[in-house]
Amino acid sequence: MKILIADDDALSRRLLEKTLERAGYEVTAVENGKQALEQLCKLDGPRLALLDWVMPELDGPSVCRAVRTRSEQTYVYMVLLTSKGSKEETVLGLESGADDYLTKPFNAEELRARLRVGERILLLEDRLVEARENMRFRATHDPLTSLLNRGAVMDLLARELHRAHREKKSTAILLGDVDHFKRVNDTMGHVVGDEVLIEIANRLLGAVRSYDFVGRYGGEEFIVVLNNCDPNFAPARAEAIRRSISNRAILSAKGSLPLTMSFGVLLSGEWGLRSVEEMLHEVDIALYEAKAAGRDCLRIAKPPAKAEPPPSPLPESVRLRH
Amino acid sequence: MNKREESFSEPVWNQAELLERVDNDQELLRELLNIFKEDFPLTMQSLESAVAVQDLKDTARLGHTLKGMLSSLGGVRTAAAAARLEAIASAGETASLRGALDALKQEAASLLPELEAYMAEVRH
Repeated sequence: MKILIADDDALSRRLLEKTLERAGYEVTAVENGKQALEQLCKLDGPRLALLDWVMPELDGPSVCRAVRTRSEQTYVYMVLLTSKGSKEETVLGLESGADDYLTKPFNAEELRARLRVGERILLLEDRLVEARENMRFRATHDPLTSLLNRGAVMDLLARELHRAHREKKSTAILLGDVDHFKRVNDTMGHVVGDEVLIEIANRLLGAVRSYDFVGRYGGEEFIVVLNNCDPNFAPARAEAIRRSISNRAILSAKGSLPLTMSFGVLLSGEWGLRSVEEMLHEVDIALYEAKAAGRDCLRIAKPPAKAEPPPSPLPESVRLRH
Repeated sequence: MNKREESFSEPVWNQAELLERVDNDQELLRELLNIFKEDFPLTMQSLESAVAVQDLKDTARLGHTLKGMLSSLGGVRTAAAAARLEAIASAGETASLRGALDALKQEAASLLPELEAYMAEVRH
């Protein structure tokens, strides 16, 4: 485990360094508070710190206060080193954000024991962070396919549509539905149905770029969002995504299943700024048209003609000048 | 027992405590003594200049540094003398600075030969 030592006295610093190396720590030693703060602010910097109270540049309590104001990073367990301090000093030190304090000259046994307390706290924090991340993942992902769930897709899409509008770019929304999926479930059973959904999720993910996103919209409905997608290339890209499903059969536990998908496609640039719900309504209509046209194809949602008035002829006054 | 007597009952150099702190690592002990041999005279020099011009802030800071250095090394009585000087400077007792500095120098004078003797001993 990494640990930081900050002490301006070379002798104490060396003694601490050696003692902690012997205890198995990976030690970084610095000689003032400013350097200590730099180390502790580093990404992947030490999460355990022994800080001398009196130091040039920044003293121990100031380092503690500065570290505690950065709430976004992982917890740093900080121990202040003091000379035989008064009660007021101890209180001041702990109030500044230190977790513990040790009086100098330290006893090696006690030092090690107190650092083990710090490690326990950090381990506890790791577990809490992990649990929180798991919860966050579960709240935003579909448990079967691990794709984004509907809620997460709607949030991301809303943000993406605003960004695209602001930057005058176009976002392509693909709403796809597995053709005749009910038959798979009815004849092969739900286990195979689940297998199929997982394979389709993987193929869709494999067919997009890392900054696009794919979500499970509902039962056998999937949504693909192609960020910053040139409207001229969007139909071809949508075709490629559709073919990633139809070009080879899906291997399931009960044999190979030649499956296809139908897609509704919408290019946000052609529609201007509209709500996510409106866009999804339009793309859903396009998906319905693809189904009606015989499935295994895609249809692009086109805005009504009046949304884009034809370019008006130049006024006569302008024309006369040329 | 007053403070002075109490400190005199302590050894000049608590070698046993120091050895325990370094886990009986003679090599580390030698390294620490070498650091001390280099840093101590320089810090003392700065301290004497600070006392000469009655700079209370610097005197307190340097007294503190010496206190830490000396107590890490087990120089218990000299560390106590440095602590007294720090306290006097922090309290702003300008008149007592000189006396406290002399007391510190006196303690150091009995500590340094012990350290030198140890270094000479382990070198052979």
